[in-house]
Amino acid sequence: MIRSIAKKELVSTLRDRRFVVLSVLMLALLLAATLVGRASYRTLQRERQVAQQTVNDQFHHQPNRHPHRVAHYGSFAFRPKAGLSFLDAGLDSFTGTAVFLEAHQQNSVNFSQAQQASSLIRFGELTVAFVLQLLVPLLIIFLCFNAFAEEREAGTLKLLLTQGVSLRRIAWGKITGYGQAVALVVVPALALAAWLLLSNESFANSPDAWARLGLFGLSYVVYFFLWIVGAVVVSARQQHARTALVLLLGCWMLGGIILPKATANLGANLFPAITKAELDAKVHEDAQKGINGHDPQDARSAALKANLLKKYKVDSEEKLPVSVGGLVMAESEAYTAKVYQQHFATLNHTYERQNALTVWAGLLNPYQAIRPLSMGLAGSDFAHYVHFQQAAEDYRYQLVQRLNALQTSMGYGDKERKLDAATWRAIPTFAYEAPVLGWALGYLVGPALALLLWAVGLSWLGLRAIDKTSIV
Amino acid sequence: MRTFWILVRYEWRHFRAAKGLVLLTGLVLLVGLYGIYYGTTEIERQRQHLATLPTLAHHNVEELKKKFPGPADAGDIGYYHTTFAVHHPTEWASLALGQRDVNPYYVKLRLLGLQGQLYASENVNPTKVLSGNFDLAFVLVYLFPLLIIALSFNLLSSEKEQGILVLLLAQPVRPGVVVAAKLTLRLLLVLGLALLLSAVAVAWARVPLDGRVGVWVALVVLYCLFWFGVVAIVTALQRNSAFNAVALVGAWLVLVVLLPGLLNVYVDATRPVPQGLELTIKQREEIHGGWDKPKSETMNRFFALYPQWRDTATIRERFVWRWYYAFQHLGDESVRPLVAAYTDGLRQRFALVERLAWVSPAVNAQVSLAALAGTDLPTHLAFQQSATRYHDALRAFYYPYLFRKVAFTHDDYAKEPTHTFTSTSELGTATSGLWKLLVSVGVVWATGLLLLQVRPLNPR
Repeated sequence: MIRSIAKKELVSTLRDRRFVVLSVLMLALLLAATLVGRASYRTLQRERQVAQQTVNDQFHHQPNRHPHRVAHYGSFAFRPKAGLSFLDAGLDSFTGTAVFLEAHQQNSVNFSQAQQASSLIRFGELTVAFVLQLLVPLLIIFLCFNAFAEEREAGTLKLLLTQGVSLRRIAWGKITGYGQAVALVVVPALALAAWLLLSNESFANSPDAWARLGLFGLSYVVYFFLWIVGAVVVSARQQHARTALVLLLGCWMLGGIILPKATANLGANLFPAITKAELDAKVHEDAQKGINGHDPQDARSAALKANLLKKYKVDSEEKLPVSVGGLVMAESEAYTAKVYQQHFATLNHTYERQNALTVWAGLLNPYQAIRPLSMGLAGSDFAHYVHFQQAAEDYRYQLVQRLNALQTSMGYGDKERKLDAATWRAIPTFAYEAPVLGWALGYLVGPALALLLWAVGLSWLGLRAIDKTSIV
Repeated sequence: MRTFWILVRYEWRHFRAAKGLVLLTGLVLLVGLYGIYYGTTEIERQRQHLATLPTLAHHNVEELKKKFPGPADAGDIGYYHTTFAVHHPTEWASLALGQRDVNPYYVKLRLLGLQGQLYASENVNPTKVLSGNFDLAFVLVYLFPLLIIALSFNLLSSEKEQGILVLLLAQPVRPGVVVAAKLTLRLLLVLGLALLLSAVAVAWARVPLDGRVGVWVALVVLYCLFWFGVVAIVTALQRNSAFNAVALVGAWLVLVVLLPGLLNVYVDATRPVPQGLELTIKQREEIHGGWDKPKSETMNRFFALYPQWRDTATIRERFVWRWYYAFQHLGDESVRPLVAAYTDGLRQRFALVERLAWVSPAVNAQVSLAALAGTDLPTHLAFQQSATRYHDALRAFYYPYLFRKVAFTHDDYAKEPTHTFTSTSELGTATSGLWKLLVSVGVVWATGLLLLQVRPLNPR
């Protein structure tokens, strides 16, 4: 019986001209968003690859230089776009793309897309995720709001029940039918996405990208399912189709537009973050407690020198096999990097507390559960961004310490000498390894659970409520 | 005319009796007040941050005074001394935050090359900026149309569905008057709410009462009128309530959600600006190349730009600060065309958005309100320009010390130029937006009235 009800719903949906127009529009939007996302992904990716290649070449082709000169020359790290970010750009437009890596300090990641745009960007970007998260639920609402009301008004509901079918089975039949109709709209777009992934060789052979795409699709299946169930339940519980529609639209607006903004804003108000200027000042203050690489009069530098003289059993700096300057630099770098890391961790912790509010809101609002889940799977969420920042910092630290070690090995009077150009070619350049799915999943447990809770809760409680609904 | 006011009064009673609608209106009022609270606290926080900057700069000077107790080489001071270029908001910024949370509102500057410092970003939580700001402009542009739709989607259809319209039109009253009375009450209600919120915001944010208040009010009123025009069109089609609801929400979706997204894609595709990455790479290459080039070559290039320092002593030392700052500046000079191309590209982007804003009155209203508040891209570019001039002034202040080898004393810190920049309203953009909005209003109302004329009201 469920199957025949489902078939009836699917057939009558497909006969409904309004639905066909809307779905074709939605499908066109989805396909367009996939292609546009893909095109912009490629442009940005190429731009960053070229930039990274340029700075890497520049680094390798430096003339004879003193290693500390090279440490100040530094390098850049450009953030590559994650493989699936063409489906969900997530935070990518609002996070920086380039960070300058140099001795003594950690710079901010600059040049975000949003800084190069007008306030138009704040209306939201047209990505696949946007269509799936906000527009498809609207389609579902228009599809399902009169699921029961129509049958009730036409009197067919009574007829159905006389056949010995329970209300709950009718509801499941309708849910199945509508699910099939929605699948007709969404599946082609995801198939196109999969095909586009396949056409890119580096992703075609990456099981990680496929697993991400699979879970991405799966989470949207759950998301659409709970919208369909919710809409059918509301339709059954409301006397009139009109009130069901208004109620569902109200929920959509509250969940899709008002709540996400309100919780994010509230989080920022509750846990204020420190400004860059204050952070820099604090780091500077704390770093002063350590050794200062550029200050020969520093008392700690003198102590370090005295220890070295004792260790190598010589009486003057000239006789040391190592450069005191290089060792002082290395020690000061280790200290300031540690200070930076502490402050950086505090700042990120503040952001995580701000964001936690949004994640908890996922329990109230399925949109706020699917959004982080989708971004996380696409590799464009906050955790992935911090991962990049951390990788860039790790590389910076290793690079600078390697150069400090080179300086140390030059021995006394290193400042008067330079190292050969071939030295720089032996130093590895920055290569970012995006984190694997297993790493990302750790951050996604909360939203995934919230989404499942919604799906299970709605099917259980909602359908129990349907049992008690009036037939006339 | 009397019947008109009787009908308006009747509608008012009707509205008060409809608990759901009263609740909704009250909710929008509360949400609007939250928007004002949020906007003002956000700007207040930025103001507080800006207020801490002089203290930070002062600490820095104290530290330098301790580090260099006697007269010092100005080169050392220029290297270690940090100062700030600050971008103060207008009072209007609290009402429409625009891009003020995305773009840095101060820049930390040293005497080094400017291009390596100008684009440093502020600490922002990307998750928060992605969600966007819940300011008054958002409430007005996004949520007010929904209130208008909720209040009037069943303007005639509900009366028709309940069979009241037949009775009503049996009286000696023209159908046009009925529609006008119903629209008037809703218009008064919505405009009253919008103006009340605006007044609260103006008072709360201590906005100076000048002509800009008029522009704000005009923008808000016209934007609401536009949506009532859309309602008039849908009402004139005389379909059932469900159809009206779907059609109006559809219009909202297209104008407020879809078109802005499409416009974004279009602007990005037709006005790409990749020069940002390019110019920082080039500037670094140029500056660090300075260490390896012969000093005379660097100095001659510098003297071509600043002939007034040509007669200073030839450099024979291994390192001297004036040479160092000369190649820092030459690094900036080398990317001058790229910087111009980058900022031009951004300006063109904004100009394109402005030109296409008529496509969606929501985009138009948003861009115009942000322009009035001085919180959009052009204002940020103006700030960057002002910071550049400040950096020029800093160089002009330090050069005599460096080139004439004048010692930098503790008294000299106070003589250093300081910077302040307060955004101004982009009135040009706001008023042109106003005209475009006026045209949109004219078009929808003309269409609505024409439809009402052509299709006489059918009470059944």
